[in-house]
Amino acid sequence: MKVLLADDNQERADAVARRLSDAGIVEIVRVEPGQRLIDIVEAAKPDVLIVDMSRPDRDSLESIREVSAQAPIVLFVDRDDPGFMQDAIDAGVSSYNLMGSSIPDVKPIAQAAVAIFRRYRKVAEDLEKAENKLGERDIVQKAKARLMKERGMTEPQAHKYLRQTAMNQGKRIVDIAWNLLGGAGKES
Amino acid sequence: MATALTIGLLRLTDAAPVIVAYEHGLFAAHGVDVRLSVEPSWANVADKLTYGRLQAAVMLPPLAFAVSLGLRGAGTPLIVPMALSLGGNTVTVSCALAEALAPETGMDALAIGARLRAYRAGMDRPLRFAVVHSFSTHNLLLKYWLAASGLAQPADVEISVIPPAETVDALATGRIDGFCAGAPWGAVAAHAGVGRPLLPSTAIWSNHPEKCLAVSKAWADANPTALAGMMTALLEAARFCDAQGNAEEVAGILAQDRYLALDPAVIRDVLPTFFAGAANFPWKSHAGWFLQEMARWGLLPTEADRGAALGIYRPDLLRAVAEPAGISMPIGDTKQEGAHAGHWTVKAAQAPIQMGGDRFCDGAVFEF
Repeated sequence: MKVLLADDNQERADAVARRLSDAGIVEIVRVEPGQRLIDIVEAAKPDVLIVDMSRPDRDSLESIREVSAQAPIVLFVDRDDPGFMQDAIDAGVSSYNLMGSSIPDVKPIAQAAVAIFRRYRKVAEDLEKAENKLGERDIVQKAKARLMKERGMTEPQAHKYLRQTAMNQGKRIVDIAWNLLGGAGKES
Repeated sequence: MATALTIGLLRLTDAAPVIVAYEHGLFAAHGVDVRLSVEPSWANVADKLTYGRLQAAVMLPPLAFAVSLGLRGAGTPLIVPMALSLGGNTVTVSCALAEALAPETGMDALAIGARLRAYRAGMDRPLRFAVVHSFSTHNLLLKYWLAASGLAQPADVEISVIPPAETVDALATGRIDGFCAGAPWGAVAAHAGVGRPLLPSTAIWSNHPEKCLAVSKAWADANPTALAGMMTALLEAARFCDAQGNAEEVAGILAQDRYLALDPAVIRDVLPTFFAGAANFPWKSHAGWFLQEMARWGLLPTEADRGAALGIYRPDLLRAVAEPAGISMPIGDTKQEGAHAGHWTVKAAQAPIQMGGDRFCDGAVFEF
């Protein structure tokens, strides 16, 4: 069983490689930063491919049937297990079964990768929560929508109104928006 | 509170109606609680639609068929209740190839294609072009033009898939001779000095359909009110994006770091058509042409049920939301693609609609 690992996050890739190696996978090939995923897939001919979903070159994999003379069959390892596939997407990892190995042989590999990716994802999410940027933007959007609906403003007018009021009062736009919504925006 | 949904999109100018609707609060104004998810690949969009992490997406029509028919791993039924843009792609080639072909201003696509064929005849290897995805409008339009120009694939031209952000580097290093991609990538390559636009995709098919709105059928069936709200907001945003004098603002919104993260000047000049000429109408004849071309190039299994695939396009749903919004939509579901060289008028529910031409570069007419 040969596993190709495409993940530019070196620390995370090391962790996945260690886990696979502990599970007895001997052949682990890494895509190094700057290398083209499709080239390495065609040269290394792995049985299984583990790919970081944030890679833009994942689209090239979907052309394998078109460009490759050997025409390996690309199957998502987990296509018949929607629950596991959702876990994998949430963790940010995608896996391919390239040479048609049996699912029982391949699935533990995908599961191990998902477990590691999930651990890294949690760290990233905690940071995002702390920053709370998304929440602020939503509050501003809701305030604008209310100004447009209730006071007949256009979006640029609503935006200008919020910005001008914020400047006049020496407050942040999100604070003005928050006041305008009477605090009603936060729990929804 | 409103029904929540997440719309997926890529960093492309033709995501403008969705981004503008969000930034202008139009979704909220129509009672829909929308999140946007900027995705790095079409594969992500397709996977997340399949497994319920996205309810809707700015989509390539051929990929919408591929997901619905399960042509790329597991799929899920989708509907296409509206189109989002016409045109907007460019065939860009390396500076060396552009100099060799030296197309004159106003030269048509077939004449340029003939020069490309002559150039190929003097090469000891096939030309190498790139597209962004196999199931893309770019791939089908590029293949159509090359074949119409007498260039065989892959003997004369090899087509590979590379992400648009890599095209600049691929042109600069000579890995590819050209590519067909959506805006702003042609302009980005030109600004970087590594490529030149050879022809717009509209020279292959005038006013060709480009992106569409794809929606999970299960979600749409369960949330008809939210679907209508989302579509109404998108129609309003599409009209705004197309209106004279708004390009600057639209480019400014798209240019932000959380969307395209590019210079607004690059975006402003390459905005496609979002509203005019019934741009939002999901013509069944557009769907029929895509399916025909997918079959032609082996991207559609021969046993696939084309009749069922056509049912993915839902012009009836667009008419139902356009009418109360006072927006006129065509009465018929199909038109004769390729039969209109210039402007024409289509019969519509309220007022007739001024349409642009829909000519193919080889003069073919697609009979639905």
